Amino acid sequence: MKKPLHLVGEVCFYLIIFAILFVYLFPLIWQFSTSLKTMDEVFRGFSLIPNKPIWENYTISLRDFNVGRYLLNTILVAGLITLGQVLSCSMAGYAFAKLRFPGRDFIFFLYLGTMMIPATVTLIPTYVIVLELGWVDSLAGLVIPFFFGNAFGTFLIRQFLQGVPRDLEEAAEIDGAGYFVIWSRVMLPMAKPALATLAVMTLVQQWNSLVWPLIVTQADTWKVLSVGLAAFRLFRTIQWNTMMAAVVMATLPMIVILFLAQRFFIQGIQFSGLNR
Amino acid sequence: MARMSQKRKREAIAGYLFITPNLFGFLVFQLIPIAVAIVLGFTEWDLINEPIWVGFSNYRNLLKDPVFQLSVRKTLYFVLVNVPVQSALALLIAILLNRSIRFKNLIRTLFIVPWVSMAVAVGLTWTWIYNSQFGLLNEILVKVGLDKIPWLAHPDWAMISVIVVNIWQFLGFHIIIFLAGLQMIPREVEEAAIVDGASTLTRCFRITLPLISPVLFYDLIVNVIGTFQIFDLPYAMTGGGPGQATRVYNLYLYQKGFQFLRMGEASAMAVMLFIIIGITTAFFFRVVGRRVNYDLT
Repeated sequence: MKKPLHLVGEVCFYLIIFAILFVYLFPLIWQFSTSLKTMDEVFRGFSLIPNKPIWENYTISLRDFNVGRYLLNTILVAGLITLGQVLSCSMAGYAFAKLRFPGRDFIFFLYLGTMMIPATVTLIPTYVIVLELGWVDSLAGLVIPFFFGNAFGTFLIRQFLQGVPRDLEEAAEIDGAGYFVIWSRVMLPMAKPALATLAVMTLVQQWNSLVWPLIVTQADTWKVLSVGLAAFRLFRTIQWNTMMAAVVMATLPMIVILFLAQRFFIQGIQFSGLNR
Repeated sequence: MARMSQKRKREAIAGYLFITPNLFGFLVFQLIPIAVAIVLGFTEWDLINEPIWVGFSNYRNLLKDPVFQLSVRKTLYFVLVNVPVQSALALLIAILLNRSIRFKNLIRTLFIVPWVSMAVAVGLTWTWIYNSQFGLLNEILVKVGLDKIPWLAHPDWAMISVIVVNIWQFLGFHIIIFLAGLQMIPREVEEAAIVDGASTLTRCFRITLPLISPVLFYDLIVNVIGTFQIFDLPYAMTGGGPGQATRVYNLYLYQKGFQFLRMGEASAMAVMLFIIIGITTAFFFRVVGRRVNYDLT
């Protein structure tokens, strides 16, 4: 007797959830819809599905608005930084979790102490360093300041590796393995979930980051997507359709990666939000 | 014994080698810049001429600067609207989702799609939706017989319009955190309350909220600290305008440093932001922190 009522309740529940999600994500649906319209259609008002999808908006945006260049730069910069951070943080995380050396706890304490300091504080001095090195408008200027990782990444890997039982290392040591081999053959495979979490969190953060690339690139050569797109606002007449095409190209890669690596994103958020 | 210390020595050397790249980055791009920023805050410097030591005058001038005062007020307003609304909405949805459900991963993932999207891109999308003449929102308003609203074009509306986008973008992030907190509550506690005949509302206020208060509290602090540093969205959507309507703290700092080339004053502003955030956090710990229930964690 109770079953049908229960079923109705269930269906209602999912209807509500997906209705909320539809409204919540509607701005992104609208963005995609606009990116496929002609300018006439854009101004004609409310219609979700374009008469005939204009994919040329994407090629126009890539070519005429330099988005192709920005996209390549963004891939290069975000990719290199992610690579460097994962490598450097996994090395340091291993040392802080497993090796004993004088000053270890003090250094780690310093790391944690600076995690609270707003990024703006280091902005100007870092810019001065990059300026002195002649790295303004260069790949090095965009990448090097973030390449060696940060306290968050090292903290994440350390916490994870601390949970790895000692016997594994000892077994490797008995086999005559050195520290480098233990790190690369024992620790890295064990730490795969933590490494993936760090990688996706870093990738998204760097792909989307605005402030640093904004101050360190003036010429178009090394501009990334965020900087290039932000300049669109200043155009006298805005072509909303090609602009939305550029916007889709800036967001879609990270959304695809989100769906491919859901678990690691959730873990990353939980780590940054639940760790005290 | 000698061999033991030999081993310890090797371990220590390995330890230092393993942290070298990370420590190098930390020293050169984190620790030293923090120290330099504090020193630069006491100077006048345009990047071209030699810096001049001016003592506390940057700080004095800033405190007297009406635009600085305005940017502090704007930022506080941003924080005070954004954080409570965002937390309340996220908590509501998290409670709604906190049961054994199908499509759980899909639902959670869909909620963080805006969070992985570039703030600049999100800002531009909403600039289009907010467009006074052709934007989707005004289109809807006209359809239901209301007047158009100059969302980003009028000083009275611009700030709240940007805040709405910020709430929207990071909502999913907080939902995930609250959901994780809710799932740490043992089933038995809820079940015992149901057996005792507690209503849904009573259970919510007497059991659920107190039990996840540590998670709520930590999330609140992280959110406040993050919102104080808001930059990308207002930069992409309004650039601080119209007039000074959305000139938040970091926008003004950026303008001072990289458009007016007043590196000393901008550094002083950065240090002051740190102090403001520190005071706010301490305040939170004193006032709210006491009521947090840590029994379960």
